[in-house]
Amino acid sequence: MPNTEIITKLLARHDTWRGQSQKPIQRSVSSGQDEIDRLLKGGWPAASLTELLVQRPGIGELSLLLPTIKYYCQNNHLSVWLDPPYQPHAPALATAGIALQKVLIVQSKTHREWLWVAEQCIRNNALLLAWSERKAPSYTDLRKLQLAAADSGHVAFLFASSKQLPASSPAALRLEIDSVDEKNLRLCVRKLRSVAPGEQLLIPRGKNLGPQTSLAKLPVNNIHPQMPASTDIPRIKTAEQRLNA
Amino acid sequence: MTLPTAAPAKSAYPEKIWLYLHFPLLPLDALLDDLKDQQQHQNPVAVICQEKNILRVLCCNNSAKQSGVEPLLSLSTALALCPDLLTMRQQLEREKNAMQQLALIAYSFSPGVIIAEQGLWLELSGCEKLFHNYTQLLQKLHQALLLQSTNVDMGIAGSADAARLLCRPGFRCELPSSAELEQQLKLTPLSQLNTSRRRQQSFYQLGLTCLGDLLALARTDLASRFGTGIVEQLQLLLGEKPCQMARFEPPATFHDLLQNPQGIFSKQGLLFPMKTLLQRLSLYLQARQCYCRALEWRFEPLLGEPSSMHVTLSGSQNSWSNLLDLSRLQLERIDLPASIETIILSSDNFVDGIPSGVDLFGTALLGTALAEEENSEAAQLMDSLRARLGPDALWQPALGRNYFPEEAGTVVVPGERQQLSTAHKGLQPLWLLPKPIAIQIRHQQLFWRQPLHILSGPQRLCDNWWQNNQQRDYYLACDNQGSRYWLFKQSDTGRWFVHGLFS
Repeated sequence: MPNTEIITKLLARHDTWRGQSQKPIQRSVSSGQDEIDRLLKGGWPAASLTELLVQRPGIGELSLLLPTIKYYCQNNHLSVWLDPPYQPHAPALATAGIALQKVLIVQSKTHREWLWVAEQCIRNNALLLAWSERKAPSYTDLRKLQLAAADSGHVAFLFASSKQLPASSPAALRLEIDSVDEKNLRLCVRKLRSVAPGEQLLIPRGKNLGPQTSLAKLPVNNIHPQMPASTDIPRIKTAEQRLNA
Repeated sequence: MTLPTAAPAKSAYPEKIWLYLHFPLLPLDALLDDLKDQQQHQNPVAVICQEKNILRVLCCNNSAKQSGVEPLLSLSTALALCPDLLTMRQQLEREKNAMQQLALIAYSFSPGVIIAEQGLWLELSGCEKLFHNYTQLLQKLHQALLLQSTNVDMGIAGSADAARLLCRPGFRCELPSSAELEQQLKLTPLSQLNTSRRRQQSFYQLGLTCLGDLLALARTDLASRFGTGIVEQLQLLLGEKPCQMARFEPPATFHDLLQNPQGIFSKQGLLFPMKTLLQRLSLYLQARQCYCRALEWRFEPLLGEPSSMHVTLSGSQNSWSNLLDLSRLQLERIDLPASIETIILSSDNFVDGIPSGVDLFGTALLGTALAEEENSEAAQLMDSLRARLGPDALWQPALGRNYFPEEAGTVVVPGERQQLSTAHKGLQPLWLLPKPIAIQIRHQQLFWRQPLHILSGPQRLCDNWWQNNQQRDYYLACDNQGSRYWLFKQSDTGRWFVHGLFS
């Protein structure tokens, strides 16, 4: 007769690999989008460092985290943005439902300070979003952060360039983000327990583009790839023409 | 001894219990910081003061007493008795400071504290419940006092004056019984009573030797013979008249210093005196029931420019260990003089303690307690970041009063709460460039780093027409690799600018 007790105990361990089972085996924080949650088997892994390897900044990587930031701020946690590349635009954050008093922007001066702030934030139950523009953190630095996150039980995000993909990293999740075309974003899991490396997901970005006008008629849009070149050039002269178009 | 009929027998504790604490070695205790090491505490030490051109010993420690030195000896005699006696001049200012410290300690045990010349009065009645019983109260008080003073004498009675009269060497944690107390008070010699010498003499001539003899006499007779002053004195002594002396209150600002004549040469060496000062501040804050918002440290060398350091706090923590951590973080950033002689800690920015949420039955509300804990955690994190990185490294995004993107979103210093909620319509980028960057049009194609093409728009913004006559049409643009930008076209000039990045 099989000893079911041992098996249940083994299955309860988060590091037991269970084949292709869809059950989330690790505590995670929902990313707010079902497709991503499905890809990551539950969401952003809690108690670990998540590395977002971005092909180039500004392709929509931060928007992926907005629901998580909102969730953390609602639960009265601070969200610390360490060395962001630009100034965050407050109205956009407010529109996303993030309490602005809970967002803290920190600018470090040296790499040592950067590492210290990152560790302090993780250990003090804040949600960390860190950019490392100045100097790529070494394996030991990342390990320090990963251990801090494991202790505190929170998620921590690190934005890095996808050039660092070949370097090894102790982060629990390494997610490569690039844009295949102007409408879609490709997420590619490079490292995550129980997910085969290389699993991909295409997510459309910015479905709600706001009020649309006849873009083709704009004077400065002539090599828009989707538009045949001929329709771009003529300029609108009268209201009648606009209506016809 | 028969009880007098004129003054009916009263309980020795009429209503109040007064404790008098006497610090015989206060002048020495105030100067002990100057001694270099523990060994010097064992050596004979005496504090001297000048009295009519003669230097006299004011007080001395035990090892000096063993070699025969005692108070009121002249300095030359004392040095003849004990050649290796270490002498220090009395410093009244520091004595006063030490007395304030002791009063602060006492204030945390009783609200009624009165400062005497070299002692303290504490009114203990009413503090029993907090400490369960008087014995525990006295034990804790003794422990607290021993941190500041090496030697404490005490006396307990039903009135302040009587407590002082009954002051005996040593500290006892037991409350004497009222009968015992009455007996002691009656046996007190009249020479200890604070009266003129002439009156003492007339007491002696009348055959009155102890207080009991005086109390046996009728008050009216005493008044007619010695004046009403003596009756008042007796009334105060027996607790029939309330004590009118001014009670001690913690000062409105905190200012304290530690001196080190040898000089401190390293930041590591500063930590111990800083800890002592912060412990005193913490005691002060506890006494005043408030939180501290800002601290100022000053490090003064013997010669040269002093350096100072400001520690800003969010005002939710009082424990000295937290304050020390923050001060230490900040200390790493500043340059100090080579040798520091005086360390000054001052603070005048306080906020009253906020009572925590309590429901009808006196239990703390779970939700608010949790939220408060998390808030204080966030405040603590902010404090430590600010201490380490400096005040200009921390920012918070805030909504502005305007629709114009430059003013719609700003960054403010954390803590400056702005409760503005402006509804912003349309797409807003997550990153805003500090200044719009003018971009080119090449062959009728927008170009910034790469060719751009427009995905949606325009959204017209026309605000502040009374200040600047600007009209902008905002567009969402995209380059070939998928980065999205926020562009605008100035209506009057027709020039294009990039103003933000969607990320």
